[in-house]
Order: sequence, then structure tokens, then C-alpha cells
Amino acid sequence: MFRAFVGLVRKEFIQVWRDRNMLRLIFAIPILQLLILGYAVNTDVEQLATDVYDFDQTRMSREFIRSFEPGDYFVTEPQLTAEEQPLWNLDERFRTGSAELALVIPEDFSEELNQGKNVTIGLIADGTDANAARAGLGYSSLIVRRFSEQVTGFSQPIELRHKFLYNPELESVYYMVPGIVATLLTMVTVMLTSMAIVREREMGTLEQLTVTPISSTALLLGKISTFGLLGMIEMVIALAVGIFWFGIPFVGSPILLFLLSALYLLTTLGMGMFFSTVTSTQQQAMFLAWFFSVFAILTSGFFTPISNMPHWLQHFTLLNPMRYFMEVVRGIMMKGAGPADLLPQIVGMAAYGAVIFGLSALRFRKRTA
Amino acid sequence: MHKIRYIALKELFHILRDFRSLLIVLAMPVMMTFLYGYAINMDIENIVISVVDLDKTAASRELTDRFFKSNYFSMAEEAPDFDDPEQLLRSDNATAILLIRPGFSEALQRGEKFQLGMTVDGSDASLASAVQAYSDAILLQFLMDRLPVGFEPPGLTVSRQVLYNPDLQSSHFFVPGLVAIILLMVSALLTSITIAREKETGTMEQLLTAPVKPYQILLGKLLPYIFIAFIDGVLVLIFAQTVFDVPFQGSYLLLLLFGFIYVATALSIGILISSLVRTQQVAMMIALVSTLLPSVMLSGFIFAIKNMPFLLQAVSRIVPATYFLKIIRGVMLKATGVETLIVPAASLVGLMVILLLLATRSFKTRIG
Repeated sequence: MFRAFVGLVRKEFIQVWRDRNMLRLIFAIPILQLLILGYAVNTDVEQLATDVYDFDQTRMSREFIRSFEPGDYFVTEPQLTAEEQPLWNLDERFRTGSAELALVIPEDFSEELNQGKNVTIGLIADGTDANAARAGLGYSSLIVRRFSEQVTGFSQPIELRHKFLYNPELESVYYMVPGIVATLLTMVTVMLTSMAIVREREMGTLEQLTVTPISSTALLLGKISTFGLLGMIEMVIALAVGIFWFGIPFVGSPILLFLLSALYLLTTLGMGMFFSTVTSTQQQAMFLAWFFSVFAILTSGFFTPISNMPHWLQHFTLLNPMRYFMEVVRGIMMKGAGPADLLPQIVGMAAYGAVIFGLSALRFRKRTA
Repeated sequence: MHKIRYIALKELFHILRDFRSLLIVLAMPVMMTFLYGYAINMDIENIVISVVDLDKTAASRELTDRFFKSNYFSMAEEAPDFDDPEQLLRSDNATAILLIRPGFSEALQRGEKFQLGMTVDGSDASLASAVQAYSDAILLQFLMDRLPVGFEPPGLTVSRQVLYNPDLQSSHFFVPGLVAIILLMVSALLTSITIAREKETGTMEQLLTAPVKPYQILLGKLLPYIFIAFIDGVLVLIFAQTVFDVPFQGSYLLLLLFGFIYVATALSIGILISSLVRTQQVAMMIALVSTLLPSVMLSGFIFAIKNMPFLLQAVSRIVPATYFLKIIRGVMLKATGVETLIVPAASLVGLMVILLLLATRSFKTRIG
């Protein structure tokens, strides 16, 4: 039994190694994806093109404009006088995409400020990209407040001091790369398992295997452990790229991450097996696996927090096994979460794994027997 | 002309008979619209926080109320454990913990300096900065409301105005973008598969020996997909307006015109891919990797192009969706006119010409 199992795993590895297309699908494409995504998936808002309408034109107003310069948030256009660039032109500037934010400084800005009066300045944002607009308004209000405190010496008595844990620099790539790792492991194992099994069936080699003295349980285990192992190798590579290339910190326990990944693999491998039993061609299997992945990724909290989604969708995400794994990978890598912190996720993944793996193993054995 | 019609009809029958293709063509756009429209929601609301009130006065309770009465925050189910308050953040049961130390209400009355603490889970950077901005705003409003009537503190006040999308709904941004993605998928993915399928099953040779010219075959095969792309586009636009309330400010005619240019460009990608490969599987893989991924990730659909490193920005320039996104968002949200959109439209035409040149070259060498 054991020797047959080892033989099978060897056979599978040789098969994968010889199939160039498969190798590319397993290794080259995911790593390329990780690199591209790591750079593209940047939700930090930077370099907002900002128009400044300075109707005051004094030393103080210029100093105020300069306070927007540090940091990478705003790119201020050279100050424009009312004649050069009338304010009614702003609509045009927004529509052509030349500006995303406008700062309007009223005529009596420095005079009233020096007299200790309250001055209202205008911030106008292009709301098309809601996220960028919100961030731009947020940052600029902060800058305005600082400048105001500096000039008048009057600040609000009660202050809120924020302390950011786990990611003090608020780098979005630290959050996204662990997410990509979870995504890759899911996509590769589901696709690989379903396509590889379907291909053997398409070519008739699965039938040949079933007439050998290997039991269908050993056959199943052999296939599954190969794909599981490949998934793990994939994850190690992805983690290495994340840590060494993107400089992502790994705070928690790698052993815990691997144990829980193995638990999660029960679900994805089971899913792959299930897809292989309901499809007859590789193309169908690939399509089904891809379709599942899109659903799983979008409702896993990968791009946007689950708490943002409508309530009915939030409940739906509880049915998504990837949601749990996403929280596990991010929790362990970024926050150093331990088993006690991740208990609900572990229970969810275990229940999912047991049900899906069990059912699809039964179905698979029925179809091969 | 009627030769083209026959081939187009034949192709249409193929699509209608094949359940899977039909699924991609009709069910996919609808499902993607709903999924993206709801799941990709950058409007950050209902952030779960927990409050530790050690002051326990009317003032501290009022401040706490202010937090939870806003739409931005909602209360965590669990109270933090005093020995390990961060456990709440580690286990994802809360995003932030607000700490009101004793002495808050006294300092408030005397106008003394006082510091409140907020520990924020920084792992999701955009969520964390939203927490910071919202909590600062709530505290500021709380303090302003306690000032005597008519008293204006010296300094600056900001008056904000948001154009085109005053409620800052992110679905207004994403749903028009979906049209770009879905049109590309239907046009590029399906055409590349259908031509590869004729090659694989050998029916392409039969077609070529029939008394029709290659361009007639090509045109006949493309027509049904232009038709389908049009239906899908309209479908998504209807959803955008009815379900997600996305406004349509500009001209329908303009969008239709530029939409045709975009679909033609996407079809050229499909033709190019299918002329390069022999099997459906490879066609599908190449189409997925070369069209869908860059269109979702590198076109500005979700992530801003200007934040990307130089190399990816260069890649985004050869992704057709980049240009169509500018067009459709401009037309729908800002009523942008021809004079601005002519630039991205011209880029699309340029891309299309290059793609078609490449495709006809490899098509000829394959057949000849």
C-alpha cells in the first residue's frame, strides 16, 4: 500500500515535470502574477493633481500652499491668478482629468487670519474616484488643521492620538501580498487538481490505473498529496518573493501557517476533485475552477473589507472557505496571531475540509470504481 | 454579402447550442456586475470598534455615543480583555479600540489639554486611514458643539465640495468600468476560442475550401460577437442605472460610437490570439492571461495607474481597457465631450491597427 502510494506520487511528479504547459501554469504564471499584483495593487492615494486658486497672493497664502508639498500626496500646480485661470474653468479641468482636487484661498485670507478671525477656505474634489476623493479631502483637512494651529497657536484642547499596530507605515502592499499568497494557493490547487484528473480521464489513463492492483483509496491519496505538495511549494515560493522582494514582515509562526495551510488544502483539493467529477473536458474543468476562484476571491475580503459589503453578502462570505484562509494568512503574517486568535477560522476551515473532501472523495471513488 | 450572413448565422447557432458559451455570454456579465458592484465597495462604513471608557462620565458617554451614532463606526460584540486588549485586533473582532482615560470630562470642562488614545489595526492601510480621518472629524465636531453659540475659534475652517459624485459612491466608479471588462472578455476571449475550435476540429479547412474569401469568414465570425457584446454592454448599463443608481450625464451616441471602436480593438486581440495558437485550451489561457488580468489589474479599473511603477505604467498604455475606462467614466459621470475623449479614442484606433496588421500577417503565413 505504502510503496504503491510512493510510486504514484513519483509518477505524478514526473508527469507534471514533463508537461511544459502544466509547469508554466503552476509556476511561471502565478509568480509573474504575484510580482505584477504586488506593484499594481496599491490602494495608497498619492500624487493627487491639485489646482490652487490663490485669491490672496500674500506671503502667508504662499506659505500655506507650501505646506501641501511635503509627502507624496499632492502635486500642486503653480499658483494661478484669477486672470490666468478663472475658477469657472475648474469644471473643464476636472472633466479633462487635469486636476482632481482644487484648493481655493479667499481674498482676505492673511488679513483675517492675522486679526484672529475664522477664515473658510474651499476644497473641491472630483468625486468620480470616490476613494481618491475621500483620501484627498482627509489628508488636506489634516494639513489645514496643522497650519491653522501653527499660525494662530490655537488648537483643540482634546486630541486623539492614533497608534497603528502591525503596519505603522500603513503600507498597502504589506496587506495585499499575504492576500495574493492565499489567492494563489487556492487557484493553483483547485485548477491543477481538477484539470489533471480530467486529463487522465480524457486520455484513458485513469482507467488503466484503476485496473492495476492499487486500491482506489491509494490512487486518490497519491494524486491528492502530489497536488497538495505542489501547492505548498508554490506557497513557499510566493512567500519568499513576498518577504525578500517586497520586504513584507513575517511576524507570526511559519509552522502554524503551514499546518493551517494543509488544513485549508483539504477544501481546495476536495473542490478540485469535485470539479473533476462533474466535467468531462479540461476546458470545462478549467472554466469551472476559474469561475469558482473569481467568486471566492471577490468575497474573501482580498480587495475590500468584508464589513463594507451589504449585509446579505456578508452572510454569504461565511460560506466562502477562502475568507477564513485569507484571515489566517494575514493574521499570522502581519499580526502574529496564534491558534486561540484564529479559532473560528480554524473551525470553519476544518468543517469545510471535512465535508467537501469527504463528499468529493466518495464521488471520485464511485466514478473510478 | 449574404455569404457573410450565412457564416454569421452559423456562428450564432454554434453559440446558442453550446450551453457553456451561452453561460459565459449571458450569465457572466450579470453575475460579474452584481459581484463587483457589491463586493468591491471602497465606501468604508460600519468599521467595528470597541470603546474602553475609564472616565465613565456623562461627557465620555456622549463622545462614545457620537462614534456609534455616525454611520462610520459600529460597536464590537466583545469587550476587550484588560490584560490583552490587542487580542480583539489580532482575532479580527475589531478594527480599533478607543481609550478614554479618567480625567477626560474634567479636562474638557477646564479647557485643559488632554489626550485620548486610539489603537488601530494598521494591517489594511486604507481602512486604518479611514479610521483616523473619521475619528478626528467626530472629535472635532464634538468639541465644536460645546463652544458657546456665536463663538468662532480663530484659524481655518474647510468648506468641502465634491463634484460629479457628491455621495462618494464607489459603485459609480466601478460599474462603468465593468462594461469595459465584460466587453473585452466577450470579444477577445470568445473569438479566440471560436476560431481555435474550428482549427482544432478541422472545420476551418473545410470553410477555407468553400467558395468564400478569408475576410468573409473572419467578418462573418465576428459579427455575432459584436452583436453579443452590444447586448452585454446594454445589459450592464441597465443594471448600472437601475440597481446601482449610476448617473448617465453624457451622450449615449458618443458612448456607442466609442464602444464600437473599443469592441473592434478587442476583437482584433481575439483574432491575433487565434491566429497564433492551434488549440482551444491554449487560446483560452493566453486570452485570460493577456486580456483579462491586465484589464482588471493594470487599466485603472481598481488600482490607480499613476501609483504604479514606471514599467507597469508603460504596460497599461497598451491595454485597450485603459483608454475605454477613461472614455466611459468621462461620458457617464462627467459628461465629457468629444474634444477631450478624442485622444484615448485615437489611441484605441492606433492599437487596433497594429493588432490587425500583426494578425493578418500571421494569419496569412499560417494559411499559405
